[in-house]
Amino acid sequence: MLMPSKVKFRKQQRGRRRGKAWRGSDLSFGDYGLKVLEAGWITDRQIEASRVAIMRFVKRGGKLWIRIFPDKPVTKKPAETRMGKGKGAPEFWVAVVKPGRILFEMEGVTEAEARQAMRLASHKLALPTVFVQRTVTG
Amino acid sequence: MAELLSIEAEPREAFGKNASRRLRHAGRVPAVVYGDQGPSLPLTVDPKEILRVLRSGAGQNAIFTLEIKGKAPARVMLRDWQLDPIKGNLIHVDMVRVGRDHKLRVKVPIHIKGEAKGVKVQGGIFEFALREVEVECLPDDIPESLTVDVTELTIGQNLRVANLPLGPKVKVLTDPNRVVAHVVTLKAEEEKPAEEVLAEAAPAEPELIRKPRAEEEEEGEEGQESEAGKKEAKKEGKREGKKE
Repeated sequence: MLMPSKVKFRKQQRGRRRGKAWRGSDLSFGDYGLKVLEAGWITDRQIEASRVAIMRFVKRGGKLWIRIFPDKPVTKKPAETRMGKGKGAPEFWVAVVKPGRILFEMEGVTEAEARQAMRLASHKLALPTVFVQRTVTG
Repeated sequence: MAELLSIEAEPREAFGKNASRRLRHAGRVPAVVYGDQGPSLPLTVDPKEILRVLRSGAGQNAIFTLEIKGKAPARVMLRDWQLDPIKGNLIHVDMVRVGRDHKLRVKVPIHIKGEAKGVKVQGGIFEFALREVEVECLPDDIPESLTVDVTELTIGQNLRVANLPLGPKVKVLTDPNRVVAHVVTLKAEEEKPAEEVLAEAAPAEPELIRKPRAEEEEEGEEGQESEAGKKEAKKEGKREGKKE
């Protein structure tokens, strides 16, 4: 599972997700990609599940780039605990995404294979996505 | 390179995000033209015409005539264009005037021809690392694209910038040793069942860059907290007993 090796602080506030992804919204490495259409959090488990789904489908051949990294800790209070007594313990990690962000990129496969692989990956995510491919206008 | 296209533009009088937004709603996009010792002019253009330039043979390096209402036509090329991250609509266009005798620095796309031997026979993966190369030349000598045949490329072999077929009038600015494409072997990945992978959900916490307060102090606080917790638990137990 992806997570940072070093952090400055163990816990973070939730934050807001306003605007569009003006960075990381173009295909930079591969020919095909998966673009997210809404803002939200993508957990480390979801990223791993998507990666596994893609790699299982393409088997041998094809190269995958993961363009997001879960660097935000999410805390949770234990079950049946009264409110107060401070913030809960870090439970998992999420990547904050804004609409337009490229999540995965692929190369070395046909368009049909890439489409199917990205479709399988999108089913592991909780946000609407769209398949994108390299064109003249980006 | 022959001049093929001609685009009409109108001078822009309203500025700012609100005026630009209204302009986009009306089906036009804000643009600007500058360079070649001329003034910087804010304009509006039809996005369809700009996309027609981008999709032409020369693509981003196409030189075209900009006909501005009330001004002399100018020979320009696209310098930059912004697209909406979600819808992909054109938002803004930068154009630069092109003089005939001034050398330009442009990025020329590289096109790959054929399937590498390393992929077809040896089962490797073709990796296209550098998709465009920066060159310096006169406007009329800009190549549309650089097509390279990669059929002889085997695993471990590289195609470098120095191997690109460039004419004598074109000077490459990108490092000639940079790899354009290569064929790599696949890393055998251990296949773990998805349940097993997902079961590793609670890994150790990452290391803290900033050291926390002295351990002794923390231990002292924790001791106090645990005692306080025990007292509260007792109190709650008593309350529940009373309720019953």
